[in-house]
Amino acid sequence: MSSSYLLRRTGYGLLLMLGVVVLNFLLIRLAPGDPAVVIAGEMGGATEEMLESIREEYGLNKPVLTQLAIYVGNVLQGNLGESFFFNQPVSKLIADRIGPTILLVITAQLMSIALGVFLGVIAARKPNGAMSAFVSVFATIGYAVPVFWTGIMLIILFASSFPIFPVEGMQSVKLRDAAWYVQTIDILHHLVLPAFTLAIIYLAQYARLSRASMLEVLGSDYIRTARAKGASEKSVLFKHALRNAALPILTVAGLQFGNLISGALLVETVFNWPGMGRLAFDSILRRDYPTIMGVLFFASAMVVIANILTDISYRWADPRLRGRS
Amino acid sequence: MSALLAIEDLRVTFNTRYGQVTALDGVSLHVNAGETLGVVGESGCGKSITALATMGLIPMPPGRIAGGSIRLEGEELVGAAPARMRGLRGADIAMIFQEPMTSLNPVFTVGAQIAEAIMLHQKVSPDQAFKDAIALLDRVGIPSPDARARDYPHQLSGGMRQRVMIAMAVSCRPKVLIADEPTTALDVTVQAQIFDLLNEIQRDFGAAIILITHDMGAISEMADRVAVMYAGRVIEEAQADDVLDFPQHPYARGLIDCIPALGREDHALREIPGVVPPLHLLGAGCAFADRCEHTNARCKTEKPLLAAHGHHPAACHAVEEGRI
Ligand SMILES: Nc1ncnc2c1ncn2[C@@H]1O[C@H](COP(=O)(O)OP(=O)(O)OP(=O)(O)O)[C@@H](O)[C@H]1O
Ligand SMILES: [Mg+2]
Repeated sequence: MSSSYLLRRTGYGLLLMLGVVVLNFLLIRLAPGDPAVVIAGEMGGATEEMLESIREEYGLNKPVLTQLAIYVGNVLQGNLGESFFFNQPVSKLIADRIGPTILLVITAQLMSIALGVFLGVIAARKPNGAMSAFVSVFATIGYAVPVFWTGIMLIILFASSFPIFPVEGMQSVKLRDAAWYVQTIDILHHLVLPAFTLAIIYLAQYARLSRASMLEVLGSDYIRTARAKGASEKSVLFKHALRNAALPILTVAGLQFGNLISGALLVETVFNWPGMGRLAFDSILRRDYPTIMGVLFFASAMVVIANILTDISYRWADPRLRGRS
Repeated sequence: MSALLAIEDLRVTFNTRYGQVTALDGVSLHVNAGETLGVVGESGCGKSITALATMGLIPMPPGRIAGGSIRLEGEELVGAAPARMRGLRGADIAMIFQEPMTSLNPVFTVGAQIAEAIMLHQKVSPDQAFKDAIALLDRVGIPSPDARARDYPHQLSGGMRQRVMIAMAVSCRPKVLIADEPTTALDVTVQAQIFDLLNEIQRDFGAAIILITHDMGAISEMADRVAVMYAGRVIEEAQADDVLDFPQHPYARGLIDCIPALGREDHALREIPGVVPPLHLLGAGCAFADRCEHTNARCKTEKPLLAAHGHHPAACHAVEEGRI
């Protein structure tokens, strides 16, 4: 892997982020609703005079393009502004919540890839077998069912019938002062249901995709070569075939990451997970422009980073993409 | 002396959308230690299926070995346990395929792929296996084998890849080496080099070679004995010189006629008229009857058996009846 390639890729990523910032800003200003009214509403009164002074204070009375220039300038200096509603710097709000979101999203991503690919590989061994049929049906259901429904069903199931997993929050209050490993286990325990809820849609897709990809690869000449040298069926499947079948799976995993983040927003709301989803939800309701834009900024940063990582892993997985050395 | 590898009355069927078809209809072949058996015949006549059956690599389903036996040094391979076949494949029987461009795994270095073959059958460390792989690359005539071992298949030419395949196939000194059209995908000068290499390898390693080919020129240079196949059967078998000089079966005669240099005086490229009938349309008679100028009523109703009527064994009523 050449470092110039990485540099170029990162440069594109930064440019893309700048575009995202501008686009976010304009889209949100185009949406109906006046934050001054909401802020005033919070304070209890709303004379036209007060609204004016609020607009003055938050710079909402300047022309939109001027506001954009100021905002972009601030972002470039690492300043995401002050929340209208929480009266805190947006970066502080996000810093408090981005950890749980990253934990949730990455766990769900790994869970869906690992389980999905495993199911797909097993199914590909016998394309007409029962496992194959199960994967197809499961993939269709998993794809069709909305996350919040899965989430709510799991909550109902585990809150009453099988109370083995917590259905709310990220930590037990009574364990706040326990040793670090107790806390870690507690967090992982809380993570199970939200991560599974988020994973299940993608899990089904990865299962179907890897089944198809494996079936194609298993028909190729080099698989016959692997068998001809006496490789075991396990090595044929998981070493020779999967390394090749992984290429399309990696592409989709990279593309799905954005969807996973928006899915996380819903799952966090359903399970009261203290991440950025909840913050996004609250700030949208309150027309808290700086916070919404901050959340979107970080969400797109995560997507851009995920795409760069996908590219890198793609080049690692497929030697044909690496330059000759 | 019994043969090193003896295939007897092998029958392989496939389930297709036309129903069950018989791809191999009672094939018998044998090869002795150190010998090269040439197998020739038009596309689709069952050469590769015979090779794959020997390797235990017929895809099942849709394929099925419906009968017959394959013996390696007396050991029956038809119905042998999968683990036993894995132990033999690559160690005692190895195979080189037609398509060097696609037969190597694109995501592993060629050195690693050869080393894997070594480690599957010999108790050596990964380091030693890689060193052995480099030595093998050197042996098959690949320049700077040290560097090439760390290359991926896409960095090598077709001829180089086929050398890699040969290195991999001979890495465990197999008793039988099956080469299924090893040069079809390569250009002419490279073809000659690969055949030279196979000859050298045979001398050094003492393997029996089954050479599957369309190329009668290669047969005349490489093969000790020749089996001519047509539509899933062996229709003529003899010493290579006998088949080349005195072909018996009309199909074998046609094949020899098609060789520009070895054939008659005219230098126009000839071919046998017509095509091999699809397997699901094979009837009761001789499969070659529709393309043959010596066909009579018996040819259309009764399958000829491989037997010595003329110069050497051929499966043809016309030869048996002395009509040609
Ligand atoms: N998976 C399969 N399903 C159905 N029929 C098959 C299958 N594999 C091979 N056959 C049939 O078996 C017959 C023999 O095929 P084979 O590959 O042995 O031919 P070949 O002599 O090697 O030809 P070529 O010179 O083109 O390589 C063909 O008629 C083919 O249609
Ligand atoms: Mg073939």
